[in-house]
Amino acid sequence: MSHSIRAEKFVADVDRTTWHDETLWFVRQKRDKAVYGVPEFQELRELASQIKEHTLSRLDDYLVQFEAAAKANGVHVHWAADAREHNDIVLGIIRRHGATRVVKSKSMLTEECHLNPELIRAGIEVIDTDLGERIIQLRDEAPSHLVLPAIHLKKEDVSDTFHLHLGTEKGNHDPQQLTEAARQHLRAKFLAGQVAITGVNFAIAETGGVVICTNEGNADLGVNLAPVHIACMGIEKLLPRLTDLGVFTRLLARSATGQPVTTYTSHYTKPAEGRELHIVLVDNGRTQQLGRPDFRASLKCIRCGACMNTCPVYRRSGGHSYDFTVPGPIGAILSPNIDMKKHSSLPFASTLCGSCTDVCPVKIDIHVQLYKWRQVLAEANEIPASKKWSMKFMGRMLTSPKAFGVSGRLGRQALRLLPHGLTHATSLNTWAIARELPEPPKQSFREWYQQQEGKS
Amino acid sequence: MSTARERILAAAKANKPAETKLPDVPVFGGDASVERFAAVLAGIGGQVSWINGPRPSAAELQQLFPDARLVASPLFPASVPVDQQTPISVLEGIDLAVLPGEIGVAENGAVWLPEPAMLHRALPTVTQHLALVLDHRRIVATMHQAYAQIPDAGGYGLFVAGPSKTADIEQSLVIGAHGARSLVVLLH
Amino acid sequence: MKVALFVPCYVDQFYPQVGIASLQLLQKLGITAHFPAQQTCCGQPLANSGCERDALPIYQHFVDTFQDYDYVVAPSGSCVYHVRKHFDKMEQSDAVQHVRAAAYDLIDFITQVLGVTDIPGRFPHKVGLHLSCHGQRGLHQANESEMTPVRDGQLRRLLSSLDGLELTELDRNDECCGFGGTFCVSEAAISGRMGQDRVADHVRNGTAVLTGGDMSCLMHLQGIVRRRQLPIRVLHAAEILNGLSC
Repeated sequence: MSHSIRAEKFVADVDRTTWHDETLWFVRQKRDKAVYGVPEFQELRELASQIKEHTLSRLDDYLVQFEAAAKANGVHVHWAADAREHNDIVLGIIRRHGATRVVKSKSMLTEECHLNPELIRAGIEVIDTDLGERIIQLRDEAPSHLVLPAIHLKKEDVSDTFHLHLGTEKGNHDPQQLTEAARQHLRAKFLAGQVAITGVNFAIAETGGVVICTNEGNADLGVNLAPVHIACMGIEKLLPRLTDLGVFTRLLARSATGQPVTTYTSHYTKPAEGRELHIVLVDNGRTQQLGRPDFRASLKCIRCGACMNTCPVYRRSGGHSYDFTVPGPIGAILSPNIDMKKHSSLPFASTLCGSCTDVCPVKIDIHVQLYKWRQVLAEANEIPASKKWSMKFMGRMLTSPKAFGVSGRLGRQALRLLPHGLTHATSLNTWAIARELPEPPKQSFREWYQQQEGKS
Repeated sequence: MSTARERILAAAKANKPAETKLPDVPVFGGDASVERFAAVLAGIGGQVSWINGPRPSAAELQQLFPDARLVASPLFPASVPVDQQTPISVLEGIDLAVLPGEIGVAENGAVWLPEPAMLHRALPTVTQHLALVLDHRRIVATMHQAYAQIPDAGGYGLFVAGPSKTADIEQSLVIGAHGARSLVVLLH
Repeated sequence: MKVALFVPCYVDQFYPQVGIASLQLLQKLGITAHFPAQQTCCGQPLANSGCERDALPIYQHFVDTFQDYDYVVAPSGSCVYHVRKHFDKMEQSDAVQHVRAAAYDLIDFITQVLGVTDIPGRFPHKVGLHLSCHGQRGLHQANESEMTPVRDGQLRRLLSSLDGLELTELDRNDECCGFGGTFCVSEAAISGRMGQDRVADHVRNGTAVLTGGDMSCLMHLQGIVRRRQLPIRVLHAAEILNGLSC
């Protein structure tokens, strides 16, 4: 199913679409305000981009450096080539400890690897502890946004879910009270957690440590109460130096939510005494993307979600319309690398307006990559045949001024003479669903110009 | 058959682009005033109070936290002694932790809390309320200056900026998600 | 100075008055532009659909048509952006490089090449300026809200120089209208909704005349205005600057 079909379903609910659009636009505005307040913000974007580009250009070296430093810190380092290996490694660690209760903070990587269903199948209780993640876990849904996983839901939906699963009062949809109920419910889970799984925002090659950013404190609470911490990270999360964090922590939260920094910026370098820290380094298509010169810059992404908040298409079609772990513009350039056929419509789910590129804190040329993916997809025959053939026809017509003039004249005439009901039949002409066609003039510009030249 | 490690490193080596330069990060200046720090902290749900020295007095604590019964702190004889071995059953009951912060960041209201300052790694987030004591002369302008003063992050360390919060329900800001419900920076 | 006028394919067929206004406006500023009759299109519709390869003959035709001119001026930032940015797929002969550099959006040509800062005239209406993304973000014709709160740009300044003209202050100054080339039919539902939202912003803030530098966005917005029978007139900026009265 293509993005446009799923999007059409979302946008059919006019009021909810309005709400979704305005809510995310509000986040974009908060981001703007935060950005305007930092005079060197554009300079920081450039620095972040250069640091990431440099890191990718020496990725193998930095991975080796990171591994050595982490091991010296007493950390267990694991390598996973794909999702399967990642899930096996995580499950293996859990089993070795005989654990059955896992608390998990937000990790897009584990979403990407579909870790939760694997663990649940193995009889392990996995609790997502980020509030938004917990809400969608209880509803058995996928996140619809990188940073705001439950942004597709309204408080009434959350209220119903909590009433069903946590026994909150029916019809009480006060966010304060719902959050308090989740706090109580999840405290018990934190206190009983045997293994804590987290994602990673940044990994520092020189220290061998990982950095995790949250607002809720769920990562720290989970990790520091459980005997075992498993941090799962894509290999592109590396930064060379601890001081590079100065650049990235200034960009991340401002771009994501407009906050000056996340509430907790936590640096995990060594396990606490008597405890274990495991770091799983995951490839899962990343080195392949590194080998695509036009698309490797997508690996600079720090998962802030700013491109989603600004994207006029995302705001009106919702995260689920992308049907990929990472939705929005960044998802549309990451997904074809994973499965070109399945995600072939995503690079076309954009007007190429370029706003995503301009908010991106690490200066990924997202809209340029969308354009380039379109070329790759068309060459691979992953665009509709009707489109392909009409473009071939157009290509011929537009190299012949005569054919162009004649078909233009015929088209205008047809538009003038045919009944409105036919020219605007939405089954034939999707333009006409929301719009009138232009009123065809009797004379084209070129006809007028020739006439003028004839006069003089 | 080669290991995943070997395959990943080989693929990264084969596919990486030509090496580009690692830029030097300039020291951006900026306002490092107490006023800015306090205003930004207030904007993210925290607050600043002044105390007379690096160890808050019983009277100061009583005035600031009249309801706190179970208190943990390395700065004064507190009602709950905490160390790395303190069991969860004790940690979960703590009302207030008063911990010595090391560096304040004016641009975002964050305070650096190194591991030795927090008694138990879970204490800063498991406590219901958190107070961080900070020498006002240790406030810097931005994160660059803060990291410049942290030669390494230790085994564990964190920047704390305000109380725990979430906006996961309809983007409505709620203070007190999973971590501390309130945060006061006690400046001296 | 030898100047050619490039009239984008859909403007030629549906909005001849925009081509005429461009020609006349340039004439008033002392430039006689020629309209080479063999011109067709810049090839963007194909390339944006992924069919860049099929567009290459069109690019070549474009270069052949315009290589002998000092400037190629078009009343469309989007076409100009395409020529400048995406003709990189061709072999970069001298002719190709020249045409890419010589391509100018009408407003940029007037302000940057001719150095014109204001246009005498009167247009006593409340005008809503639609910033087209390729002109704004692609050719940097106007400030971007992603970077700065200051709303500024060449067209904004030119329009403001007309007597009696009042600019609408929009809630969202530079959000995309949702036209997007073939996006407007392949993602018709989202495209329509985006256009409706853009028009609603203009209605809410009192726009009487909706204008911009790109007729493609305006064609889409006009389609919505007409479907909803709203009391808004849609004009290309060249028509207003050329002294149209309404």
